[in-house]
Order: sequence, then structure tokens, then C-alpha cells
Amino acid sequence: MSRIKVLLANRPRLIRELVMATISDQPDIEIVGEIQEEVQISKAVEAVRPDFLIVALEKSNRLSGICQTVLRSFPQIQIIAISSDRNSSMCYWASLHIESHQIECSEAGVLSAIREKTRPMNRPQ
Amino acid sequence: MEKKIGVFLQCQNRLARESIARILQKRSDIQVVHGRTATSASEEEIAGTNPDVVVLDSLQLLPEEEPVAPIRGLAESRVKRILIAMPDDPKHFLKAIRRGAVGYVLCDASASDVVAAIRGVGQGDAICPPHYVRLLFEYIALLATRYPNRQTKASIGLTSREQQLIPLIGRGLTNKQIAGSLNLSEQTVKNHVHRILGKLGIGDRLDVSEACETQLLGM
Repeated sequence: MSRIKVLLANRPRLIRELVMATISDQPDIEIVGEIQEEVQISKAVEAVRPDFLIVALEKSNRLSGICQTVLRSFPQIQIIAISSDRNSSMCYWASLHIESHQIECSEAGVLSAIREKTRPMNRPQ
Repeated sequence: MEKKIGVFLQCQNRLARESIARILQKRSDIQVVHGRTATSASEEEIAGTNPDVVVLDSLQLLPEEEPVAPIRGLAESRVKRILIAMPDDPKHFLKAIRRGAVGYVLCDASASDVVAAIRGVGQGDAICPPHYVRLLFEYIALLATRYPNRQTKASIGLTSREQQLIPLIGRGLTNKQIAGSLNLSEQTVKNHVHRILGKLGIGDRLDVSEACETQLLGM
């Protein structure tokens, strides 16, 4: 079985490393890259073609321009945004428009968002 | 085998708390005694789990600042608090120290820095980013020049209550503010200030710190 590929790009570093600790313990999920700066995202996505991109959640809950472009260019990718200080996280994906829904800001919440991608029709709207 | 370091995790961010617990559980010398999200745990609740170290991810989760920081309280209180995922902001850092934290880990630190900080603090050290050590030196040097220490102030003939008031007066606080922070009546503070000005032989309360220094320097 091929593993789900995740690219980590969230800041700050400590939160990224904590998320990495959780994901790297999952046998069915693989971390295919870690980047520190948002400007590197497009290039990295192009190179490693992840199933999921993990970024920091903006205060406004809006996706950055770079991430919106990534979703439009690679509609098969989904983005999970994790807050560093609030208890909040979101999942974004592109269909006709960019869609999003809140996910539980917990290990279980993030992991099930990653695993449920295989069944996108079940996703709550 | 040596006793494990008991850790109480109190983080606003649940994912961060769960991930830290996951990391700590793999260390044989550390044991997570309790994890809790968002709301502030009471002192009783924390004491009930008997932790060595409490890990927090927000300054707001620290107990309230004491009006006058009890220096000896730090060594006496057994539970040690570490702040993690903190902004690189010296003011934040000094505030954390005043509120009794003994560890400060930046948001740009690594996960292993958190583990190292827990071990360090568990062994009785205080942990902060290396570039803040210089800040501490400068801060203490500043305090030393600004506010003469207890012994020397006693040589001018000030009571310990009067000595306690000097930095507060010097900071420009009103009698009412001083009374509030020390739990005294405004009239009592007024009397103290009057006596301090008399002992120092000055008329303006904003000159107290300087007058103290000049007297100590024999000028």
C-alpha cells in the first residue's frame, strides 16, 4: 500500500517539529519534506507532489496567496492549516472554488483529516 | 533507577500538547502526569498530580504576578514552570521571570530543546535562550545601579518597609497605586513617603532613587 505523502511547511519551528513527531509515528503516512519559508512552498510542492501540505493557520483563517495558487495548480492536493497559539485548525481543498472546513485541533483531528482524503465525498460541507 | 521527572502539560493548543506528550512518553526519564487544554488549572489541581515540572504555552496560564516578587519563593516552591513556544521578546521573557517561570523556550526552538529544558529544570536549573543571558546581566546591572540594595539602604537608616517603597516611588507610582499594590492604606503610604523624604533630605519624591545613591556614594 502506498503511504499518504505529507509536506510540512508550518511555522513556527517548534509547532512544525511537534506535528512532525505525531505524523512520523504513523505507519501509513510519510513526511516527504520539511520547509521553513513560505516562499519555498511552490517549488517544493512541484518537486515532491505531496497529498497534503501543512501550513500555519493565519489569524484571519484565510489561506495565503501562495497556498491558493498551489491548490489551483494542484487540485489533488489538500492543505491543513494549524494555529500555533489558538486551539484551531482548518482543512482546505479546491473544487470549483477553494473550500474549507474546521477540523479538531488535535492529533486525532489532523490524522483523520489526512486519512479521510481518500473519501472526499464524505467530507462535511 | 532514578526517579522520573513528572510533567504536567497545560497548553492552549491541544495538538501541541498531545504531540509533546507523545515525544515525552518515549523518554525513559520523563513521565507525563497530566495533560490539560486551554483553561487554567487551579493550583490545587496541579499540586494534586504532584508534578516536578509544569509546561505551559502561554504567559496567561502563569499564576498572577505578585505585587513584590518574592525572590525566595522561587527556590521554595517545588513546582517549576516552563513556558514553551514563546515569542522572541525580551519584555515577555522578563515578565515570565517575574511571574516565577524558570524555563523559557522560544517558538523557533526544536522539539529536543523542549525535552532538554524539562530535564534541566527538573534538575534544578533555570533555562533560557543563550542570547537572553546577556539581557539578564544587563538587567541586573541596571537594577543594581538604580535601586541600592537592602543592606546599603539600611545604612541610611531606612526601615525595610521604607526600602520596599523606594523603587515604587522612583517609578513614579502615586501613593494610591503603591497602597493598592502593597495592600496598605493610602494614609500609611503617605506617612512612609513623608519620612523617606525627610531622611533623605529632599523635597521631590521623584528624586528618591537618585538621593539614595548619592548618599550611599558619600556625595
